[in-house]
Amino acid sequence: MQTLASRVNNTLLYASLVYLVVLVAAAAAAPLVAPFDPFTQDLGARFVAPGVEGHPLGTDDFGRDVASRLIYGARATLTVGFTAVGIALSLGLVIGLSAGLSEGLPDSALMLVMDAVLSFPTVLLAITVVTIFGYGLAQVMVAVGVIFTPVFARLVRAETLAVKREEYVEASRALGSPPLRTIRLHILPNVLPQIVVQASITFALAVVIEASLSFLGLGTQPPNPSWGLMLKDARNYLLRAPGLALYPGIAVALTVLSLNIIADWLSNRFSASARVQQRAYSRR
Amino acid sequence: MKVYMPTAAIVGVLTLFIAGTASAGGQEESRSRVLEVGIAGEPDTLDPQATSGTLTFQVLRNVYDTLVVPTEDGRIGPALATDWETSDDELRWTFTLREEVRFHNGSELSSQDVKATFERILAEGSGSPWKEEFSAIEEIRTPGPSEVVFELERPYAPLLSSLASGWGAILPRELIEEEHDFAADPVGTGPFRVTNWVRDNRIVLERHDQYWMEGAPQLDRVNVNIITEPSVQIQGLISGDLHVIDTVLPGDVDTVREADNARLYRQLTALVLVLAMNTDREPLDIPEVRKAINHAIDKEAVLDVAYTGGEVVGTFMDSQSPYYVDTTDMYPYDPDKAREMLEAVGIDDDTTLEIAVPQNYEFHVRAAEMYDEMLSEVGLDTEIRLVDWSTWISDVYRGSKYDLTVVGHTGKLDPDGRLNDGFDYTNWQDDEVDELIEEARRTSEFETRKELYTHVLEILGREVPFVYVGSPYLYVGLSEKVRGFEIDPTLDTYDFRGVSLE
Repeated sequence: MQTLASRVNNTLLYASLVYLVVLVAAAAAAPLVAPFDPFTQDLGARFVAPGVEGHPLGTDDFGRDVASRLIYGARATLTVGFTAVGIALSLGLVIGLSAGLSEGLPDSALMLVMDAVLSFPTVLLAITVVTIFGYGLAQVMVAVGVIFTPVFARLVRAETLAVKREEYVEASRALGSPPLRTIRLHILPNVLPQIVVQASITFALAVVIEASLSFLGLGTQPPNPSWGLMLKDARNYLLRAPGLALYPGIAVALTVLSLNIIADWLSNRFSASARVQQRAYSRR
Repeated sequence: MKVYMPTAAIVGVLTLFIAGTASAGGQEESRSRVLEVGIAGEPDTLDPQATSGTLTFQVLRNVYDTLVVPTEDGRIGPALATDWETSDDELRWTFTLREEVRFHNGSELSSQDVKATFERILAEGSGSPWKEEFSAIEEIRTPGPSEVVFELERPYAPLLSSLASGWGAILPRELIEEEHDFAADPVGTGPFRVTNWVRDNRIVLERHDQYWMEGAPQLDRVNVNIITEPSVQIQGLISGDLHVIDTVLPGDVDTVREADNARLYRQLTALVLVLAMNTDREPLDIPEVRKAINHAIDKEAVLDVAYTGGEVVGTFMDSQSPYYVDTTDMYPYDPDKAREMLEAVGIDDDTTLEIAVPQNYEFHVRAAEMYDEMLSEVGLDTEIRLVDWSTWISDVYRGSKYDLTVVGHTGKLDPDGRLNDGFDYTNWQDDEVDELIEEARRTSEFETRKELYTHVLEILGREVPFVYVGSPYLYVGLSEKVRGFEIDPTLDTYDFRGVSLE
């Protein structure tokens, strides 16, 4: 059983990796890969069925090629994912490290702010930020980035506090190593595994939030393609052309699923290696 | 996966809804005289003087009567007033009231009620959004129980149309004096009275037995069900639980048309859909550019794809209005000509115009996507910016901070309602037009007014501060059982007086 389960897990993992690599490659090379221009309307060819007239997934209500819009839409999704995670990670790292190393008042103050951000429901906070700063993809990226900062900050702070008290760290500080060196040599390597796992989970959440905000008309601005926006438009034609809602829906679902599978695998791997290390330590 | 939540919610609501109406069924026999109507939202109030919300008037149309009503040919006909005349100086309007009209509370209609009704709107601190429309009234006199005289401080022809609109509803004097809560419990002379209002669920209208019109109403009861989700309305219609639904989305038009037990009622609305241009902004200040943009837009296609069809217009008036002037042949769809005109003016690639679109109106957003594509075809770069409705009102409509914008102008019974300030936000101004509009306001004689408005509409059609796209169709989904359903011209409210069920 064990081997069967792990074989299934491995297959899922590889499938997820392949899907994501293909997605990133397709998004990056969209002009080369997409069969049509995603903006060109052809009012003579509305709601064309998949496979007809060279449209692999058919056309939408303006006669635009659905497959091309999906590929270009991946750009919006991935850009938001990478940027938002980048923002959340960098901000979280700086805040978490400063809080963890300083302790006392600065620590309490920083964590209070983080808790305040954390206490808002994510989508509500995203809508608020976007409503204040205007609709658009850039605003969504920043909003999602800020929303997920506390998660990273807490993670980094906790690990910093733990590592800081280890004897070897105290020893190196006693020997006069500057704080930055301590961070680089001792703290960062210890937080890295958790951060990587958290980053992939956050990426998946960012994909969903981008889709939700675009669905609400607050994210990607038409006529630019985005999966959420495609879902929104398709809603009016659910009975007539269900595919229009199905394809972007599947794209969102697969992307989130793949990212979660990879996050799962990473976290298993890191905790396993941590166990091995611990065992080796206790044996000694 | 979150994105699939709405679908699950729809199914949930749908199940609940079907269960709800099925259990409310009761006896089959009495059901055949109960009309089940689905409307898209809850009225904010049932006080006709307190709101401009269309849902309120959709419900109140069958609860109240007005002195006069709009007729098929776009003119004004009798209702509670059987007859009226204006003095030569246009300052005195005398209405003769219908005899033996009874309110829902049993009291008989008299000129006192009419006086009290309009004094309620005009009262200091009434806060009615319609106060301005009646502000020309200086005094209301009641020489006899069936005669009411409006004394005006200035000639104001559009008053008659205001009296024919939903907010001209006549309320009973006694209750006005008692400060009755009309917002929750309306009392009028209409064919139905409101007996129950279950918030977010339904409004129950019972037959008014003493209604003045012979043989009306034919129904015993109308249940106005509040159903915000369009697909639930469609399903309700097809399953036979609903007889009339007010929301048929573009994608569902064919579904209803092909359904065995339902049909589609189609009527042109008085809405004029436009792509408005800010004539203060370069290069839209140049008439040639505005004309080129008019040539670049395929109006018919926009109406069909973004707005479920309609009728193209060439000027700032709906085509059904008796004042309409056909100028559609001035700027026909001709992208090549548009491109040449823009090149001649010297529009280059650096010019990017922003199309501001109210984000809550999905069909305007879709129309904007088409304009964006059509204008880029003729070499004019545009960019869509979605704004929420309140921002649109404050920045675009009131503040004129935009290049291009997409919106629809609702129909008013009187042409003055559309023309007096309807194009202010384009910053287009013409002294001759201003004078003609002012003059038309001072006369109530139809032929004179028509001549004046013809002139105005010709100038507007030539100078094009807008791309006038057209009026869209209004679709109502009807059960095959419904007979005698009508929609009031221009007001677009449903008239249930002649409705019966087979």
